[in-house]
Amino acid sequence: MRTERESRRARPGAAAEGMADRRVLSREECESILERAHGFARGGGETRVVVTSWWQGELRWGRNRVSLSSDRRDIVLGIERKVVDGRPSGTLNVTTNQLDDGFIEAAVRAAERKSLLGIDPGWGLGDYPPLPEYPPYVGAPVWSDATFNLTTEARGEVVRAMIAAVEAEGLLSAGYLEVRGASAMSKGTEAPELRQGELAFWDLPYSVWTHAQLSITVRDSTGGGSGWAALASYDWNRIDPEALTERAIQKCVASRNPVALEPGRYTVILEPQAVADLIQPLVDSLASREDAERPSASPWYLGPDEHLGLHRSKLGMKVVDSRISISHDPSDPSLGIVAAPMETPGTVTWIDRGVLTNLGFGLSTDVKWLEGWHTLRGPLAYRMSGGDTTIEEMIASTRRGLLVTRFSNIRKLDDVSLLCTGLTRDGLWLIENGQITKAVKNFRFTESPLFVLNNVEQLGEPVPVFRPVLHPFLGGPMPAMVPALKVRDFSFTSLVDAV
Amino acid sequence: MGITRRELLKAGVGAVALAAVPRPVLAYFGRGPEPVPPIRDPRIKELAFRAVEAARSAGASYVDVRLTHDRARSFSLASLTNIGDTEELTVGVRALVDGYWGFAGGSVWSPEEMVRLGREAVRHARIHALGPARAVELAPRPVVTDAHWQTPVEIDPFEVSPFEIVDYLKGLEYFVARDPQFSLGHNLTRFELREEAFACSDGSYLTQRLYSTEGLATLSYTPEPGQQIRWSVEGLDRASVGWELYKGQPLRDRIERLMEEMREHWKLPVKPVDVGRYAVVFDARSVAGLIDATLGSATELDRALGYEANADGTSYLNDPLAMLGSFEVAHPALTLTGNRSEPGGAATVRWDAEGVEPDEFTIVRDGVLTDFQTTRESAGWLAEYYRGRGQPVRSHGCAVAESGNHAPLQRRPNLVVSPGKESLDFDDLVEGIEEGLAIKGLQIEMDFQGLNGLGLGERVYEVKRGKPVARIIGAGLLFRAPELWKGLTALGGPGSTRRYGLETRKGQPTQVGYHSVTAPAAAFEQVTVIDVLRKA
Repeated sequence: MRTERESRRARPGAAAEGMADRRVLSREECESILERAHGFARGGGETRVVVTSWWQGELRWGRNRVSLSSDRRDIVLGIERKVVDGRPSGTLNVTTNQLDDGFIEAAVRAAERKSLLGIDPGWGLGDYPPLPEYPPYVGAPVWSDATFNLTTEARGEVVRAMIAAVEAEGLLSAGYLEVRGASAMSKGTEAPELRQGELAFWDLPYSVWTHAQLSITVRDSTGGGSGWAALASYDWNRIDPEALTERAIQKCVASRNPVALEPGRYTVILEPQAVADLIQPLVDSLASREDAERPSASPWYLGPDEHLGLHRSKLGMKVVDSRISISHDPSDPSLGIVAAPMETPGTVTWIDRGVLTNLGFGLSTDVKWLEGWHTLRGPLAYRMSGGDTTIEEMIASTRRGLLVTRFSNIRKLDDVSLLCTGLTRDGLWLIENGQITKAVKNFRFTESPLFVLNNVEQLGEPVPVFRPVLHPFLGGPMPAMVPALKVRDFSFTSLVDAV
Repeated sequence: MGITRRELLKAGVGAVALAAVPRPVLAYFGRGPEPVPPIRDPRIKELAFRAVEAARSAGASYVDVRLTHDRARSFSLASLTNIGDTEELTVGVRALVDGYWGFAGGSVWSPEEMVRLGREAVRHARIHALGPARAVELAPRPVVTDAHWQTPVEIDPFEVSPFEIVDYLKGLEYFVARDPQFSLGHNLTRFELREEAFACSDGSYLTQRLYSTEGLATLSYTPEPGQQIRWSVEGLDRASVGWELYKGQPLRDRIERLMEEMREHWKLPVKPVDVGRYAVVFDARSVAGLIDATLGSATELDRALGYEANADGTSYLNDPLAMLGSFEVAHPALTLTGNRSEPGGAATVRWDAEGVEPDEFTIVRDGVLTDFQTTRESAGWLAEYYRGRGQPVRSHGCAVAESGNHAPLQRRPNLVVSPGKESLDFDDLVEGIEEGLAIKGLQIEMDFQGLNGLGLGERVYEVKRGKPVARIIGAGLLFRAPELWKGLTALGGPGSTRRYGLETRKGQPTQVGYHSVTAPAAAFEQVTVIDVLRKA
């Protein structure tokens, strides 16, 4: 190792060069960085190091012209040192983006000095039996060469064709295409009492992934109509730019000259994107079992059981329509995520045929309860079950209702009922006697995903939806498969004349 | 508990050494890696112009380069103590070829990387210049050479011992905990220091050293078991200041006043909302939020012309050239200006991300729309209007890049709502209400055109004969921006104005930005009040 270090110092700019050519750090590079960082630790104690690298190719356009094409990349190195009697320096205490020996050593020193200031956050551990060795998480693929190798020229061609199609209709488009590649790896010696084997359950073995997103908004120049279509996936080949453009154009044209309707309760046909937008607060609420088992604002808190002296959650109770399940199967090729070894290796079902069967554990509870020795999260990626009714069939069976493209600006109003408010956007149509008859002005809704999933009449086939938000820590994909739904008694509370 | 000095000495590290955490970042200037020098070092200028030259040689008609050296230190107390330090170098090159922009960014400061980025940015622009024609005219600005500016701060937070900061923040917790019904839920502070260099193909070169600080202290009041209200202490909003954000104001007085307000709030009888139209008095924070969410967003010129349609949305002021100078957006009492020069403003700089020295400009004068927020490129879109009024065609300096590794984007400047002439404050305005509502700390949800809004908040009071008599549960406001601002009946005086730091996210990819909004309290008539939790 010393030789390697010396040789790096002898070749000025070598590390920089290496980084400059490579968009994403390789396994060998990550291992070397982690080893070097660990090697610089002085004074005993424990060390945790995480290195992540990312690259993005971006293409943004507005008013039918590309406004910016970019290539950006960065590296993040986080170091945590614990040198004094149970005082770690805080989570990823020193973070930076430079990788040379001199800098890494200085960062490790900085973390050590900070360690003296820190206060033990306490993992809430106590005495636990040794944990089993965790093999790396094996899930569906999250790397696609098609995404990583979509060149600047290819991106330009894709977007030129999309813009040309919109211009041919005399309309205006704005949109965004992004491809991203990233890698990450962590290695630590912290919490040795919980380690057994090479990887602790929270460590991340070398992981590499890609992510692509494409979205387009088409508007007519008088501003009367607006259409939108988008998709995100780890694999660029699953995104069809032509189909998205066609859909956005069709929705723009069909949404011109909208009429105002009275707010009220309507039967609605929610396209899959609208369903995904609406149920996000519910998906988020599945992350905390701790909250559901104590008096709290969790929708899953049931109440106190005086006899047992406990607070009970709704686990085991039917909470939504029995045709609805929300689950994640790691081997499902549409639902690949980047995960640490501690992720549950098999399928997790949070809602099984309407019954709440699982809620995610927080980290300290993981260690306390250690059910199955793996962690259970709320859904990062998920599949919502559906049926086989097509949207056309749903429309045909509707005497009077509204067809919704998507929702926007959603805000939760009440944590317990999950009552939310938000807006329809980019296409809302009136259905009368089985036919779409008019474009309708946007509405503000006041509705709860929990109530909506209890008022389901028909379900479609689950399809991938646009979920560009990436995992908060790792930035990996969070795909979802969601069906269209026909729902009764959906509450629209006011008219919104925005387009 | 915090670490004691004795324990520290036992560990063998002096307190002095702790205060100066060594800088880990290194740069390459040609020989080997060296610690990054202060931003005014001429070698940084050399690096920057190497990127400019590489892009020029590759065929760019315009190039600008930003290098940033960012440090951040954040403290998070209350349930855990967490202290985070980050230090980063970023660099980005933006190039213009035949009306198309290209951008390349990274994290390495070396001569080779500068050349790579310069060429890469041009390559991106060229690829799109093959498509349909596009024109970019950059509004002129003076060439600035070798100028430097630093945010004037009283206390550099990075030179204050972290011990002192932790002790001070912990002290706030103990101060609050004297009353067993109160506790400090959040107790966070964050200091940022950016040293940046800007170089341009027209020969401009400037450097800035910018400080930005923000805190959050949330009081939790538990008047009865099972009931809790949580309000944040005012005065810790993001600003371009240093540690004086905490030390320079009587924070404990503020906390005590807030505790008193919470007690008074709780004592008031509760009433459910009665839907209808009311006269409403808003506090300065609510007015700041309203102006930012409506006119602040609607007058971003790129947004108004549809460049954000695929992201946050568009603007109801969607025909700028037709509307400027004539469109009444508000009551004649309203005047709204923008600046990036007010001392301590969260968007305050000497030069923006394009090297423009921002000016103070009037967006709304006496209720009429008079200008939009602009950058060098977008200012040209209003050239016809400016020339018609004998005004120079110039950028107002609203270009902001989140880091060197982000392309400049148009963001909001500091916004200022001119106060009324009479010295009325919030309480005076409330006294002027016979029957209506008084609202503090309104939260706002706007639609994607900045047109229709929903207001929500915990602090809604029923006012009868000038006095708050009850607190209202479940009230929401529905408003439409033009009607709201035309319904303005009174503005608070200069004594009622307060400044707030706001965070906004814009663009694809998203960039975070900060700006301040200064506003007085205000009274409005005929505001629609609904039961926000009621379904159709």
